[in-house]
Amino acid sequence: MGRAEPSVSRHATGRSLGLLVCQNCRATVRAVAAPYSHCSRCQSTLHERKPHSLVITTMLVLCAAVLYVPANVLPVMTTRTFFEDENDTIISGVLVLIDSGSWPIALLVFIASIVVPLLKILALGALLYSAWARSPRLRLQRSKLFRLVEFIGRWSMLDIYAISLLATLVQVQSFAMVLVGWGAWAFGAVVVLTMLATRTFDERLLWDTPRND
Amino acid sequence: MPPVIVCPACDLAHRRTAAPSKGRTQCVRCHEPLQRPESAAIETAIAFACCALVFLLLSNVYPLVAMHVNGSSRATTLVGAALGFYAQGYKSLAALVFLTTVIAPLLQITALLYLLIPLRHGRRAPGHNGVFRVLSHVRPWSFMEVFMLGALVALVRLSNFAHVVPGIALWSCALLMLSLSAMTSVTSPEQVWRWVERSRA
Repeated sequence: MGRAEPSVSRHATGRSLGLLVCQNCRATVRAVAAPYSHCSRCQSTLHERKPHSLVITTMLVLCAAVLYVPANVLPVMTTRTFFEDENDTIISGVLVLIDSGSWPIALLVFIASIVVPLLKILALGALLYSAWARSPRLRLQRSKLFRLVEFIGRWSMLDIYAISLLATLVQVQSFAMVLVGWGAWAFGAVVVLTMLATRTFDERLLWDTPRND
Repeated sequence: MPPVIVCPACDLAHRRTAAPSKGRTQCVRCHEPLQRPESAAIETAIAFACCALVFLLLSNVYPLVAMHVNGSSRATTLVGAALGFYAQGYKSLAALVFLTTVIAPLLQITALLYLLIPLRHGRRAPGHNGVFRVLSHVRPWSFMEVFMLGALVALVRLSNFAHVVPGIALWSCALLMLSLSAMTSVTSPEQVWRWVERSRA
């Protein structure tokens, strides 16, 4: 996978050389009036590190963790038929799919709606803890974990889209109606909050530690 | 610019070398890609964006799916899916679905065309930097491929008790998803700025 380049000296960083890197266009520019200056190429505001990254990200992840409970306990939708109201939570939605014999789809929903949100919250929590503690251990692995969270984050929206289509289509009076539940709202909020958290988290904080490798 | 590339992911400084013609260079410490080779001609990127724009329009004009049950039938469009939440009082969820499936892809495509077409003729569009910034903020919120799978899940659940007919928009959504990812893969920020620098020369 590509050649690695020689570094300037083994441990010179942008910070130690007075250089900033634009998070928008990825250009390396000389810091003039740190911590604020502008990219000479695209004029974006530059920060040595994303401002208040740890505090903001921690708040977002805490909110997501709290909302994760109603997202899984409350029904995401209710199917109202002639005979009864049937409440579906995220988990019972997966069970319905297993019962109807669509294994691949059930597995897909299980991963996107149960594994991914849980993994995101736990992984971000662990990354935040290690960044607060300035832990020098397993930096490469933690960096890779962060990129995994960033990459898979969007997939948990899948159930929201499925519910939106069901709620729009299944509106046949006196036969069946799908009503959206507050669980869907909480679930959507968890997805958005964790996605925002991966944007506010500054990966470089994982590397601002005493050297260990 | 300084003769150094700083890794955007871990802040390690690297000596700047000529951009590789094949393969990419990555950070020695965190393995973040630093320089990618030339991905495609600017015309290719414009062509992908035009394709995506056409499929986006088709996806919003034609019905996505129709459902027949008990002699009555209902159909919905892409926008209709967001309106389903709105009709039941979940305005924020409606906004989320609308933003991620209609507004974000539309902004992503039009912003890119706005930047690339003048660059193709050696000029920079007015407000180039601002539009570039909008583009990089919008990109992570364009969820077309997730929507496609979500639609698939909904179809499977519906087909248990109703007759479901996929509409034209479902197919064009699939093509939109493909052309969007082709477009994104050839327009990395590095590549866009390479075109900008070339247009200046």
